Amino acid sequence: MKSSHRSILSRLDDTVRWTGIPARVADDMSDAPSIDRKHRPLRWIPIWPIAFSCALFILFLTWPSALDLVRPGGVIAVTGGLMASIMGMVPGIHMYGPLGKPSFEDDEREAALRKDSFLFCFGLLACLNCLGQPILLILSHWQNWQIAQSVSVAISALMLNATLFGSLPTLYASWNLRQLPKE
Amino acid sequence: MSLHNRISVFRAERGISRRQLAEAVGVNNQTIGYLERGDYKPSLELALKIARHFGVAVEMLFSFDRFEPIAMTLKRAGEGE
Repeated sequence: MKSSHRSILSRLDDTVRWTGIPARVADDMSDAPSIDRKHRPLRWIPIWPIAFSCALFILFLTWPSALDLVRPGGVIAVTGGLMASIMGMVPGIHMYGPLGKPSFEDDEREAALRKDSFLFCFGLLACLNCLGQPILLILSHWQNWQIAQSVSVAISALMLNATLFGSLPTLYASWNLRQLPKE
Repeated sequence: MSLHNRISVFRAERGISRRQLAEAVGVNNQTIGYLERGDYKPSLELALKIARHFGVAVEMLFSFDRFEPIAMTLKRAGEGE
């Protein structure tokens, strides 16, 4: 079939195939041994969602008047859009990073790397939450937060937790993996 | 404590690629690369599997002390003859 007669759907299929994602998913879903599986370090990409989530959290925490500048509908739309795009990035980062999908085919080094990365992430998240929750509670009483600000801070804190949980293990593992020279 | 190994020397001597060794001992070929570079310490099971594959004792492959360079070993062997 000539390319000029191809439907939009088939062109879209080609575009998706061009990204290499379907081949990667098929590879991940197959039962083939993991001898050739490459762990690609992602040293910078996971920083983006973490930075976005931190920025959003700090904005809601320190600049509540920003909520009054825009209409409530606008706040919900912008915040919701940002959250959706960031949360959409996180699984992709995890899958394409050095940790990838947990598998029975994982060897001992891959399993150890996954364990170390998640231990680091859970430890950091536990510390942040143990310290952050009382601080936020004290701040809310001290500064007489309105319900809207409390809700926005709570939602942005939840998102920050989810982003850290999704991206931090990949970031940790990526910085622990050094590039191997080609044989 | 750092663990030194001579996997790359044995691999080069036998003409085995990382991939072939990885297939033989059932790990990812990147794991062999990280092992050779000393970035990863193997479990006893993996160390024994690699030693068995090369047909040598595990002490020949892994050591807490730095291995003597091959040139020095050859020189000493030459002097002994």
